[in-house]
Amino acid sequence: EPTATKEEQQPIPPPDGGWGWMIVLHFFLVNMLVMGMLKTFGIFFVVLQEEVGGSSEQISWIGSIMSSLRFSAGPLVTIACGKLGDQLTSIIGAGLVSSGCLISTQATSISFLCVSMGLLLGLGFACLYQAAAVMTARYFKKRLALSNAIARSGMGLTFILAPFTQLLIDFYGWQGTLLIFGGIMLNLVPSSMLLRPINTKNLQDFSGRNVDSGSLTQSKPPATLTSHLDEISTTETQVNNRLENAAGLESPVPCRQPLLDFSLLKDPFFCIFAWSFLFSQLAYFIPTFHLAARAKTLGIDSMDASYLISVAGIIEAVSQLLSGWIADQNWIKKYHYHKTYLILCGITNLLGPLATSFPLLMVYTVSFAIFCGGYLALLLPVLVDLVGVPRLHSSLGFASFFAGIAAIAGPPIAGWLYDYTQTYAYSFFFAGTCYLIAPISFFFEPSVHKWKLRKEEELNKVST
Amino acid sequence: EPAPVPRAGWAPTRPPALTVESGGRRRCVTPAQQPGTGGVSLQRYCSCPARTMRGSGSGAGSLRLLLSLAALWLSDANEPGTAMTTRDINQQTRKSISDYTVKEHDLSTPGSHLTTQDFNQQTEENISNLTSAVYSISINGFSSAPVEENVILYSPANIALSCNLTSPSTDSATVNVTWKKDNETLRSSSVTFNETKHVWSTQYMLKIRDRNQMGNYTCVFKRDQEVKATFHLQVPQIEGKEHHVVSYVGDSVVLVCKSIKYIPISWIWYMSNGSDQVAVNDSLMPDKYTVDEKYANITKLKILKISEEDDRSYWCQAVFKLGESKGKVSLKVLTYMTPLKPFLAIAAEVIILVAIIFLYEMYSKKKQMHAEDEKEFEQIEQLKSEDSNGVENSTTRHRKV
Repeated sequence: EPTATKEEQQPIPPPDGGWGWMIVLHFFLVNMLVMGMLKTFGIFFVVLQEEVGGSSEQISWIGSIMSSLRFSAGPLVTIACGKLGDQLTSIIGAGLVSSGCLISTQATSISFLCVSMGLLLGLGFACLYQAAAVMTARYFKKRLALSNAIARSGMGLTFILAPFTQLLIDFYGWQGTLLIFGGIMLNLVPSSMLLRPINTKNLQDFSGRNVDSGSLTQSKPPATLTSHLDEISTTETQVNNRLENAAGLESPVPCRQPLLDFSLLKDPFFCIFAWSFLFSQLAYFIPTFHLAARAKTLGIDSMDASYLISVAGIIEAVSQLLSGWIADQNWIKKYHYHKTYLILCGITNLLGPLATSFPLLMVYTVSFAIFCGGYLALLLPVLVDLVGVPRLHSSLGFASFFAGIAAIAGPPIAGWLYDYTQTYAYSFFFAGTCYLIAPISFFFEPSVHKWKLRKEEELNKVST
Repeated sequence: EPAPVPRAGWAPTRPPALTVESGGRRRCVTPAQQPGTGGVSLQRYCSCPARTMRGSGSGAGSLRLLLSLAALWLSDANEPGTAMTTRDINQQTRKSISDYTVKEHDLSTPGSHLTTQDFNQQTEENISNLTSAVYSISINGFSSAPVEENVILYSPANIALSCNLTSPSTDSATVNVTWKKDNETLRSSSVTFNETKHVWSTQYMLKIRDRNQMGNYTCVFKRDQEVKATFHLQVPQIEGKEHHVVSYVGDSVVLVCKSIKYIPISWIWYMSNGSDQVAVNDSLMPDKYTVDEKYANITKLKILKISEEDDRSYWCQAVFKLGESKGKVSLKVLTYMTPLKPFLAIAAEVIILVAIIFLYEMYSKKKQMHAEDEKEFEQIEQLKSEDSNGVENSTTRHRKV
């Protein structure tokens, strides 16, 4: 029997380095370009209003569709990754994004742009983002938080993209700019090719026993829940390897597991994460949206306001790196850090309205950026800790779907709050409250943990 | 189209000494009307910015009427001028005629006429509608630099320009005040001068009715030194776009000019032709230029089928009762090749990267397969050698035994 194919199939431990850094590079590029495009949409907004016509409400639909579809298309991307593999999905995503940009140059009306720019770009972003996130989780275990943070620091570079976009628009008009953007996004195709498929096993390998039994049910209750999850993942990957035939670079498809695991929705760990993700996402956009506006109402001029925003971006990126590194040291469980950052974010936002001058506003911005960066870097590692790598695609898909709902709802709620109260203070109160509600679910984690252990014991008693 | 000219036969309350015989019809031209189209309805009044109806001296009045009628006759003799000149003259004529409390008679529907009472009422309303405003400048001391202020007017108004000079010195020498318009000293009939303790203030009353009264008005205080303050009376400035509008060959573009606070009477577009400006005639070339005037304070010039020749500057001119002002919008025309070149450069770079990565993957896969083949080979060799050793051992054993 040839050993070549068997070696390819045989699970190897997550590299935590090596080719993994190429994956981090790709994820970095994705973050930079995707978030860059989303953030510079504001500049296109102004230009489109002048040239294509249409009311500001119609044009803001394009931006809303783009940013909400980037999340809500999560389940769809999960299925695509399941059927086609992460690499191909990512390449398709890059193709969608650049073709969306190219088609938009021929746009003649706002509804055309809604489809070409909103729909295609949103779908493409979702494909790119999810595939990259899951691949990072596959390649890194011990250093997941740090590598995730390094990749996310790409978002901090988006503030360069804004003046660059303005320059392009002044030179080439919005159509020429979109053409060039299409070309830049095309760079994501070769970087997607870096997503070499890998099947990983986790450190605790209970091979032999479970594989021979041939079923996916849990057998012996292990010491901790996380190692239990590792066992399930190992079992699944090994069974899949046996069931699957050699096919070169094909990534293993979990045959016994459905592509979109709806049972996740009943899993309390997923619910814990989804709750906190939903509320934190609801609250995230509001301070970023309203910071510039609040600075204006306080009489701070727009140059200083944009200075505030760029400072916030840089500090957020640095804070993400630090938070990722600290979390990887494994002094305490990652979700404790996540909880703390969320609570601190909430308190900062509740105190936000007290900032009535430029230095105070700077203090608020800096502290918000630090805590925000802290919790953002830990989103992926905490999810991996809660549900494990094999079900990561499904859980990320569903969590993104819920986040997409929050992303659509967030800015309009904030706008409505401002219209109703005629002051931005209430938006900050709302954001602070949401940030304080978000970590509540994490306080239930120990009890859910114990509940699950009890359930395992009962099942084992039944089976033995 | 025939220029509107006064026609014989209208009957004011105080009949003028002469009538003017000529063709055409005379009416109060409002911007929405095209000259030469059908008659004005009976109910349309002219919102004529009328002066006081008390009459300002019949002698001067009749001279003015003669002059304006002469001007009209002359204009009739010329070719039909642009809409603007006709409007000016109409304005003049209206004013001079209104001095006689005449009524506006529309000859298109013979037999109909406005009663004097109606017209008086209308004109009285017009008087009270005029804005009155006071603009003042304060000067501190004789040694301060000349002060300037912009006064923006767009319709006739009664204004008062006031200069206040505060001088700390207790020198009680007399201060001479003069008012100048564009460096011409004005007669001081509408100037008042007030001297209280160390504050000399002077006020100049103006009734702005036409564009000739716009300009720079300077108050000069003179003692041993001279100090000035200038009021620049001007029509509202129209802002064009500082940055050029970019468009592509074969596409269409809309150039927009706005006048937010002040509503002009009409807009005219010009385009630059070499060093001078040529009016854009949208009725001559309707499939190239379209002017959209849905709202009075926004004008949009739509240029279709853009070619490289359209790469020039365009001016939108807003016409106010007291003058005009222009805003500049420049159009830059690019061909599709301009952004296409960077795009093709980037696409080429992407293809090269894809090729490199693909080749690298193939290379590393081959290396892996070679390494595995070698391992396999070694394993087989090992098995073979174990086998052969075993056989040898058995034979040796056999032999030994």
